[in-house]
Amino acid sequence: MLLTGAQIIMECLLEQQVDTVFGYPGGAVLNIYDALYEYQDRIHHICTAHEQGAAHAADGYARASGKTGVCIATSGPGATNLVTGIATAYMDSVPVVAITGNVNLNLLGLDSFQEVDITGVTMPITKHNFIVKKIENLADTLRHAFRIAGEGRKGPVLVDIPKDITAQKCEFTRVKDLAGTFDEQREREMHLPIVKPLPTPKPQRLEQALELLQRSERPYIYAGGGVISAGASPELRAFAEKLDAPVSCSLMCQGGYDQADRRYLGMLGMHGTVASAKTLQHCDLFVAVGTRFSDRVICNAGLFAKHCPIIQIDIDPAEFNKNIDVNLRVSGDAKEILRILTEKLGQQEHSEWMARVAGWKEQYPLEQKASQPDGVTPQEVLETLARLTGDEAIITTDVGQHQMWAAQFYEFRRPRQFLTSGGLGTMGFGLGAAIGAQVAEPGRKVINITGDGSFHMNCSELATAVKYRIPVIDLLLDNTVLGMVRQWQKLFYDWRFSQTTLERATDYEMLARAFGAKAFTIRTKGEIEPVLREALNQDCPVVVHCVIDKDVNVLPMVPAGASAEEPITTME
Amino acid sequence: MSYHESPERDYVLSVLAQNNAGVLLRIAGLFSRRCYNIKSIVAAQTEDAAYSQMIIVVQGDDRIVRQVDKQLSKLAEIEQVTVLSDQDAVVREHLLLKVKRTDKTSDQLMAIANVFHASILNVTPENLMVELTGSAQTLNSFIECYKPYTIEKILRTGAMAMEK
Repeated sequence: MLLTGAQIIMECLLEQQVDTVFGYPGGAVLNIYDALYEYQDRIHHICTAHEQGAAHAADGYARASGKTGVCIATSGPGATNLVTGIATAYMDSVPVVAITGNVNLNLLGLDSFQEVDITGVTMPITKHNFIVKKIENLADTLRHAFRIAGEGRKGPVLVDIPKDITAQKCEFTRVKDLAGTFDEQREREMHLPIVKPLPTPKPQRLEQALELLQRSERPYIYAGGGVISAGASPELRAFAEKLDAPVSCSLMCQGGYDQADRRYLGMLGMHGTVASAKTLQHCDLFVAVGTRFSDRVICNAGLFAKHCPIIQIDIDPAEFNKNIDVNLRVSGDAKEILRILTEKLGQQEHSEWMARVAGWKEQYPLEQKASQPDGVTPQEVLETLARLTGDEAIITTDVGQHQMWAAQFYEFRRPRQFLTSGGLGTMGFGLGAAIGAQVAEPGRKVINITGDGSFHMNCSELATAVKYRIPVIDLLLDNTVLGMVRQWQKLFYDWRFSQTTLERATDYEMLARAFGAKAFTIRTKGEIEPVLREALNQDCPVVVHCVIDKDVNVLPMVPAGASAEEPITTME
Repeated sequence: MSYHESPERDYVLSVLAQNNAGVLLRIAGLFSRRCYNIKSIVAAQTEDAAYSQMIIVVQGDDRIVRQVDKQLSKLAEIEQVTVLSDQDAVVREHLLLKVKRTDKTSDQLMAIANVFHASILNVTPENLMVELTGSAQTLNSFIECYKPYTIEKILRTGAMAMEK
């Protein structure tokens, strides 16, 4: 059928089974929005307050559902407003397709109104990006964009489309079997990327891994976000049982392993548990699955797991020997590799080692004490929230102390339950992500844990939640300071609190109501449970303003440059 | 195993990419943001117009070059990356050199060119332009020989390399 470029975009979205997109209209995307009007019964568009919110929402949608998220923005400032959101998705390997409009072909390169070279800008923060200069290439470009975003190590892809391309007409045929559409000859003619085979595990490497696993007396499994991305949580559980080993997870893998299980030790790294640090120190084999050894985990590369061999399993071979050297590298899909290893490995038994590990877990629990008898601790708020919501809820976060507390104290039971900006550390991520997650999972409660610093960055998205009746809860842990930076100032800058004492006059309840949301406040320990219960009973957006002490620190903590085996547990 | 166990040296990479708009920018951008050192890059369309062949000289150690190889291979439009060794590839570089001449030095300048089998491209009363193809080492010696005569300009292409 003969369709306009804008209609072809809609058809390609439908081909990919996309039913929801997040975006913001503008001049260069007028045709696309006109087509969205035409397709509104099949493609639901959520208009955010700011394009950054749309990018985070598409990201949150993808993280919660496992599908590829889609966001749309106009040229120039619309496109650049997506940048932080795209970079966030890139650092955490989240599949997102960003569609931007651009000026007409004949105006490209002339510094035209609202023109920006967005493919140039986003080159370092996308898996790949495209500018479509021929209407004939539009459909295949979009198909490749979705393919690249969702295959192998996932990530964002941007497609920039000049306005006149969206108006031109071209013959379009719907494709049922998308995998079968990729043809090398045609791709070469259209200058589209040729499909490359994904890495598969080498049998010899698997044999070597089995040998190391069988020989180990004190194995330790460390899982990263790749486990969730690969849908490998059941395989990880089975593998841990077969190997009879303790498990720690990175920030990106919270919920990737059931935290109620006795094998689970908590996070590893800068704000990991003492039990994880002790286990790292005493293990004789370190098995890393779907993780890139971020500097926030290894802390000091020269001191990390020096005494034992490391096996690394990853879909991206470029992650091998990047941040630290590992002894055995197995490239491929974590789900498949864990399945093979579990199948071939005989049942191992390390009861003595498991007992030692259990001892550390018991000896060093995570604990926060209130400075006053009825003071509110983040620990109690988050543990109460976990108790009231069970494993049904989805938790998103912003970035800072509250993010670490959420990871430490909320017990995550299943994958895609905890959505956080781990790699880029984007303050202002949480509310947009919560909106996206809630749209993807309407049956679940979605709660964004935020701080007063992060809240102010993108609180305007409350307007979006209210308008579309997206019943997210924004749980604001307000300590009136930029707590994480302040904590570093305490440790390394002699308590010189440069610009971290915010003490803003914002009346959070009034602000929430001004946006049309409901609002509650928690000031004392006794109010935690009743207020959270009431907030959870609403079916509209809610802000819960929770007043906490400004001097609660995130502990344990590995100070910069120290070994991940030696966290400090007090700052007094 | 430790960091930077092998000494830094030059590595020659042969990169086959789809000849798409912006592909060179993607490669250069990757080198820049990952802090890899490019010494030279030569890029041109191959016998098949759909492809572009690049020869990139990277300075680093084994570990860095393995990273460069894997990161490059991840780019959607890169088809093949080969790290060429001295044994299985011929590496050549092309040089244009302009040197000051006088009637007094003219014979000496010509004699040097002859020794290296360099071609004279242009002669004016003030200067002489010569051209030479060879290994980087040969080119360096050639340049050294002309240094006493005041070199006005040098253009080097960077290494080209082909597997045997």
